[in-house]
Amino acid sequence: MKRFLQFCRHGLWLLFRPLWWLLVWVWRAVLFLLWLVNPLTWIEWVTRTWVRKFGIGHFSFVIVNAVRNQRRATLTMLSVAISSGLLVSLLTMQRELTVPPESEAASLRVIARNKVSITQPLPAKQLPVIEKIPGVVAVSPFTFFGGNFREETVTSFAQFAVDPVRFKGIIVEGRIAEGAYEDFVKDRTSCFVGADTMKRYGLKIGDRMRFTGTFYPVDLDLKIVAVFQGTVDDRGVFFHHKLLDELTGDPGTVGTWYLRVASAEVANDVIARVNRAFENTSAEVRTETERAFQMSFMSMLGNVKLIIGLISSMVVITLLLMTVSTMSMAIRERFRELAVLKALGFRRTELFAFILAESFGLAALGALVGIGGAWTFWTFIDLQKMTNGFLIYFEVTPRIMATGAIVAALLGIVSAIAPSLAVARTSVVDGLKTLD
Amino acid sequence: MAAPPPVPIVVVRDLSKIYRQGDINVTALNSVSLDIAPGEFVVLMGPSGSGKSTLLHIIAGIDQPTSGSAKVQGIDIARLNQSQLADWRNQNVGFVFQSFNLIPVLTAAENVELPLLLTNLSRKERRQQTLTALELVGLADRGHHRPDQLSGGQQQRAAIARALVTDPALIVADEPTGNLDAKSAGDVLEILQSLTRTAGKTVVMVTHDPKSASYGSRELHLEKGELAPGPGPK
Ligand SMILES: Nc1ncnc2c1ncn2[C@@H]1O[C@H](COP(=O)(O)OP(=O)(O)OP(=O)(O)O)[C@@H](O)[C@H]1O
Ligand SMILES: [Mg+2]
Repeated sequence: MKRFLQFCRHGLWLLFRPLWWLLVWVWRAVLFLLWLVNPLTWIEWVTRTWVRKFGIGHFSFVIVNAVRNQRRATLTMLSVAISSGLLVSLLTMQRELTVPPESEAASLRVIARNKVSITQPLPAKQLPVIEKIPGVVAVSPFTFFGGNFREETVTSFAQFAVDPVRFKGIIVEGRIAEGAYEDFVKDRTSCFVGADTMKRYGLKIGDRMRFTGTFYPVDLDLKIVAVFQGTVDDRGVFFHHKLLDELTGDPGTVGTWYLRVASAEVANDVIARVNRAFENTSAEVRTETERAFQMSFMSMLGNVKLIIGLISSMVVITLLLMTVSTMSMAIRERFRELAVLKALGFRRTELFAFILAESFGLAALGALVGIGGAWTFWTFIDLQKMTNGFLIYFEVTPRIMATGAIVAALLGIVSAIAPSLAVARTSVVDGLKTLD
Repeated sequence: MAAPPPVPIVVVRDLSKIYRQGDINVTALNSVSLDIAPGEFVVLMGPSGSGKSTLLHIIAGIDQPTSGSAKVQGIDIARLNQSQLADWRNQNVGFVFQSFNLIPVLTAAENVELPLLLTNLSRKERRQQTLTALELVGLADRGHHRPDQLSGGQQQRAAIARALVTDPALIVADEPTGNLDAKSAGDVLEILQSLTRTAGKTVVMVTHDPKSASYGSRELHLEKGELAPGPGPK
């Protein structure tokens, strides 16, 4: 019996030994690769080579000191990298959600919706009232259909019912890429489609688009007759409001009103006037710019700006605590050496410069990796696909990158202050007494 | 015919150092006066706590006296401010410590070159001077080794090279052989001795070991912060 057990153990060992070795070697290979791609490895190598050839200098002394504990330096750099990447992403998100589109045409567009809720319709008879308001150049019904294309189970792009004739005066940017707008106006069952959607589904003029209603209990079957391109969002599908009215038994309502105002200066006046025009009626309206409308449309965005701001500050504060403590530790370990440097004749300001350069350098390298990484990531992934159309662009602007870089630089500077003060306050004699 | 007495390089007058710890005053040095001539190898001896290190630190300009004066080459170092003192140390004093105190991430040669960063020598001149200093302590072939790749004796020789690379007039050493075996200690002491004899340096060394003391040209004894009348010049 005992022998049998021994035999089994031996057998198991024989079986698992290769696996174990494989694991060990994979782990070693991973560590080696990480070491290889670590920028600090290369910076240290270049510095050491340089120093061997030309002797030590102020700059190389700082670098050699900064990487003396490569694991700690790497972790510090990485945490700055991850945090600054996160910060940049959060700031970009905040901007995407709150900053109006840059296009001038968009700033001329205003949307009026039911004050109670976006899902409440507005009476179609409001049209003549709005039309007469000074500053309004064009107005069209604008009703979100919210259908699922073909067999899809989510609404991956928006369809709106509009009045084609009136609508033409509102969409002023972009161009007609294919077909003719007149065909859209003429054919009650046709649709006007964005170039991105055409491309995404490989559609061409004359194809039909079927939508299953999720919002309305009706389905659509539309013929593509014209394609637009060059607007802020080239994905939408527009069709005749008359068709929707017919299918739904003409309830005499529209989802929202889409307005174009005469100039950006009068936009606020127009917004106020439209709101006032329907005060104390059964359908009070809330009018807002297109961008603001889009934001409320995307629901749950209520206090996103505040929340993102809070998260960003928490990221920065955590990072600050971390770099300050790491830097203090790194310097405290070297108190005795710094006392020796003082004895050799280095001034306090020079030691401060050493510490500052080290802390700043690590923070800057981290920021470079983090912000560069964030930029690369957001620039080269297909966000539209990933978020199912929730976000189209996620542009990491130079301004946001600069903000991230400034935050990282300040972190580097602030982290150097406490250790520098400690070094300045300690006399050479006291510093020499500290144990290594 | 008696030669005129040389102008002393170190002049200490009524030097006192009192540490205040709450209500208790610790007198580390009590009214010490002494002169040291250029080229002397002065050995400071005395029991533990007698104030040897304190005196050495004040002469070397890394500590301040409570009263009295310490002049080195005519300069009252207590009068200098922090940064003047730093510059002064760089140009006039070399330090050798008991625990070597080399920077661990730098090679021996880089450690030796370090004080030269504060001078306005060119890279090439710095290199040259570093090499000369390393040769003087017999470490020319070990310049590219890190401290942890060197023996204790070699580390201390590298430290001496660092102390003399800026060509200071004064070298102070606080128990430089305290961590060394007899052979390495002998090497280090010989180097220090030859510096005074051939290069005209002045060395002030603290030691507990009478055998080390025998390398000096003069012994001074401190007792409870006061200079005891010792054997004087040999
Ligand atoms: N920072 C300090 N605060 C209070 N007392 C001090 C301080 N530094 C030194 N002393 C005291 O001053 C006296 C002289 O100290 P010092 O270090 O000069 O002695 P030492 O002769 O070098 O002794 P050792 O041979 O042990 O090195 C001692 O009594 C010591 O306790
Ligand atoms: Mg001592």
